[in-house]
Amino acid sequence: MNSSSLTPTDSSLPEEFRFLCMLHNIGATTPERSLTIDEISRWVSMDTSVIRIHLQRLIEMGYVELTRIGEEDKYHLTHSGIRKVLTLYS
Amino acid sequence: MLTWEYPPRIVGGIARHCEGLAKALTKLDVEIHLITLDFPGTPLYEENEGVKIYRAKIEIGHPNFLTWVMIFNHFLEKKLAEVVKQASFDLIHLHDWLVAPAGIAAKHFLNLPLVATLHSTEHGRSGLHIPDSFTIDSWEWWTTYEASKIIVTSNSMKHEVCGHFHVPWEKVEIIPNGINLAKFQVSVDRNSVRARYGISPDEKLILYVGRLVPQKGVEYLIQAVPMVSSRYHNAKFVIVGEGWLRDYLQSLAHSTGHGWRIIFTGFIPDNEMIALMKSADVLVVPSIYEPFGIVALEGMAAGVPVVASQVGGLSEVIEHDKTGVFVYPRNPESVAWGIDHVLSNPGHAEWLVRNAFEKVKNVFSWEAIASRTIEVYKQVLGG
Repeated sequence: MNSSSLTPTDSSLPEEFRFLCMLHNIGATTPERSLTIDEISRWVSMDTSVIRIHLQRLIEMGYVELTRIGEEDKYHLTHSGIRKVLTLYS
Repeated sequence: MLTWEYPPRIVGGIARHCEGLAKALTKLDVEIHLITLDFPGTPLYEENEGVKIYRAKIEIGHPNFLTWVMIFNHFLEKKLAEVVKQASFDLIHLHDWLVAPAGIAAKHFLNLPLVATLHSTEHGRSGLHIPDSFTIDSWEWWTTYEASKIIVTSNSMKHEVCGHFHVPWEKVEIIPNGINLAKFQVSVDRNSVRARYGISPDEKLILYVGRLVPQKGVEYLIQAVPMVSSRYHNAKFVIVGEGWLRDYLQSLAHSTGHGWRIIFTGFIPDNEMIALMKSADVLVVPSIYEPFGIVALEGMAAGVPVVASQVGGLSEVIEHDKTGVFVYPRNPESVAWGIDHVLSNPGHAEWLVRNAFEKVKNVFSWEAIASRTIEVYKQVLGG
């Protein structure tokens, strides 16, 4: 792998990390601004089944947190997830 | 002052640079209003050691990176519009292309001179391979065009900026990064710090601190692990930091057969980072691109011998075999040699540490750097 050519928008970025960046960039960074899987799907134009897989993995890694609000499951980045994304940009 | 990161929103060196500079400028009676992005749990306005910090909330988003940058620049401008109702300014100082759209707009609508600090370039960070990189490169060029003065942190960055963007030599000023020495003058219990990471007092602690991204060259340190371990059976490696390359680096660590020696900590707070530096036997900075290399300076302040690639600004911070040890970039054998050079000569290592500390104290204090920045401000204001 020629890792030195990778950039934030490069297609060689790991898929779940590209997804984490998108989740960050659409603003799901606090519990109040957390989003349901359907809302995320509309923002990022991805199938909900794929989103579900990414979210599960990102939760396991500690980058995303699930909050149950009423009857809905909503997702947002943890501090660690935000820092992970920001490492790309400076 | 405009910056996209400011503590506790810490990503790379820009946050620390802006914090050190803003506080030191304030002590020299420069009134600093700093506008930055919000971070969960931080107030939208606070005053810290005289620096007035305003945080802009990004109200809407977009999955595309560059679109998102343009959107948050709009919210920085909106925040700036609020702030100018309460205070008047003499100039705008922006840090890096990420806030250039807001900074350049402010220059024009407030009719104020613009100073820009370029901490790195897209050309140097990633090369120019994809359309987004060309766009970022164009923003950086535009920043150099619009600014009255460009500040860079090293001579190598001056060459890079003048060469790549065709900027007149006299438009670019070199002012290095600084360091708050007082933060490093703390005593730590070396053994208990090591114990937190499962490292005993008699083991060799080899430390990396930085983002886990390609330009930091962490893979070359990991590839050096088997070579170092063949001579030092009690060597342990601690990799501090976060980044999108972490999974790859952890797999690489595992593939060396020495994964058990290599500890990935993720992000840790500043005080813990300083405690680790003060408890380590060597700090390795294996970068392949480094406009300045503030981590090397932090290691020198903490009193740990520094082994670093001879690239970019590191070449100006360290003097080989006087204040640290240089190794070849992208070269695991050379990294292993550098680590061994330090570990096998404890007396020499102590001498390097003493020299390094003196250099940090004399050359890289924030007071000195703030004074030089004020000189640039005066030039821009015609004073």
